[in-house]
Amino acid sequence: MNDDPRMEWVAITVIGRDRPGIVANVSGVLYRHRSSIEELSQTVIRGQFAMILIASLGEGASVPALKGELRDLSRDLDLDIDLRRLKPEDLIPYQSGETEPFIITARGKDRPGLVYGITELLAERGINITNLGAQVARLGQEPEYIQVFEVDIPKRLDYGLLQEKLHQRGQEMGVSVDLQHKDIFRAINQI
Amino acid sequence: MLSSEEIIRTVEMLKNENLDVRTVTLGISLRDCASPSADEVCGRVREKVQRHARNLVPTCERVATKYGIPIVNKRLAVTPIASVAESLRGEDFLRVARTLDQAAQEVEVNFIGGYSALVQKGFTRGDRTLLDTIPEVLSSTERVCASVNVASTRAGINMDAVSLMGQAIQETSQRTADRDGFGCAKLVVFANMPEDNPFMAGAYLGYGEPECVINVGVSGPGVVKRELERAVQSGKKLTLGDLSEIIKKTSFRVTRVGELIAREVAREMDVSFGIVDLSLAPTPTVGDSVGEILQCLGLESIGVPGSTAALALLNDAVKKGGAFASSSVGGLSGAFIPVSEDLNISRAVQQGYLTLEKLEAMTAVCSVGLDMIALPGKVDADTIAALLADEMAIGVINHKTTGVRLIPVPGKDVGDKAVFGGLFGEAYILEVRNINRSGNFVRFGGRIPAPLMSLNN
Repeated sequence: MNDDPRMEWVAITVIGRDRPGIVANVSGVLYRHRSSIEELSQTVIRGQFAMILIASLGEGASVPALKGELRDLSRDLDLDIDLRRLKPEDLIPYQSGETEPFIITARGKDRPGLVYGITELLAERGINITNLGAQVARLGQEPEYIQVFEVDIPKRLDYGLLQEKLHQRGQEMGVSVDLQHKDIFRAINQI
Repeated sequence: MLSSEEIIRTVEMLKNENLDVRTVTLGISLRDCASPSADEVCGRVREKVQRHARNLVPTCERVATKYGIPIVNKRLAVTPIASVAESLRGEDFLRVARTLDQAAQEVEVNFIGGYSALVQKGFTRGDRTLLDTIPEVLSSTERVCASVNVASTRAGINMDAVSLMGQAIQETSQRTADRDGFGCAKLVVFANMPEDNPFMAGAYLGYGEPECVINVGVSGPGVVKRELERAVQSGKKLTLGDLSEIIKKTSFRVTRVGELIAREVAREMDVSFGIVDLSLAPTPTVGDSVGEILQCLGLESIGVPGSTAALALLNDAVKKGGAFASSSVGGLSGAFIPVSEDLNISRAVQQGYLTLEKLEAMTAVCSVGLDMIALPGKVDADTIAALLADEMAIGVINHKTTGVRLIPVPGKDVGDKAVFGGLFGEAYILEVRNINRSGNFVRFGGRIPAPLMSLNN
């Protein structure tokens, strides 16, 4: 995939009010410029649409021309569309050495500084977040605000110590924070 | 990707509901330790246990920390000592037992099971010696557990052994009178004894098992109870079939956790993984009770009419969920009703809801037998033997394991309490009706023949 040196790679992000047609319009532009969408991820939060995609441009395709058409599209549809040129090495995922996959959950009332409170601890230790989501879950009588961080924790770190630090931070912020190995979730929930 | 609900449910299960791996039991074969020289036997046993087991506790701690799931007990199970020490005399059997005790202390496991004999068809000399030494061993060692298989569906019931065990139980209780007969808590009499049971006091390493093996006992009555409570409180109209489904799915999850931990410990120790025993084994902690599960199923207390049916439902659902979760399920695998180890069951005895007769009926549908039951000290050895015989018959005829752990408490009677402490809890003494009326039956001796269903070739 990354072999052909003539291939150009771009990352495109789109943000704006959600409604039908956004993906169709963006992918239409890419199609007309002979670009191939390699991978795509999109989500909608509170009516706001957000998408990131990686595309490769084939022979004869022009990045400036593509950029131009996307700019027109962004103006017409009132979307923020950004294009970023990528070098082949930009496509290599972050290598953090030997790691184990864990899941951190934070439950409780939402308040400012929640995400920062946890991610600060992680950044200090070189722990990368591979997935992050927040939802309101209805488990008992009351709905609960839950944040789920999927992280890769380097093997050299002491999990017990990190568990304690997270608990402490959680207490300071008034939320319940737990660290659990991802294999447990897989084992328990997947057939 | 998992939904938030699934993630939170998993986290809750692990944090709040007393889900733990109840025991990781390392089985070590001592077959190569047999010798006519007591020095040889003891030396080899000690060396072998140290060599194979010294990493057990640290490995378990490491894996427990990684997954955030406590491994409550680390234990050992060995080849029946009756065969390892076959050529030795009585006092040398005691030396071997003390060696086992010392070895267990050195590697920091809390129990070592396998001071055992299989005598369902008859005795060898070693078997008889072992049986005779049980009371002294259990009163003079700390961590050694003994078990004797006196019956099997294939062989019938060895009533001579049953009679001897009745006496052994009494004598053990007398010798540990200062601890409310606690010696008997380390002794189980079995029919159809499983070879890979990781729970004490009945764990031993069976004859077809490998040199070394890791067998794991999960648990989690609290988890099951919580799921049932949640369902009942949701207000939906539920049938017993629905409740059975919930128990089944919960058992699935609990077993999966056990298997994950078991395989990792086995891998780290470079030992084969044997089985997961998915028994719902209660502890004296509130919320970790099988009795409470029966209450969730609508019975006011364990022991009232309906208890046998409810326990049958529970036992079966646990097995089904577990069997789907793992291809290597073994041991006892079902629901336990150990009277002193379950706070709720112990109270049911105190309050008069639960009788010995009802317990006996329930053993026909659950996975152990009359377990951790405190009896009045005055019950005679022949009555104890007769109770054993009843329980063995249930196991033999129904093709299942039944185990008996009876604890006569010297100097105490119905209304009193025996206090054992720790995971063994405390037990209100159960009334035994009609004592001293079964001696003639027991004294006939011999073997109750194997039932017809044993001829199933």
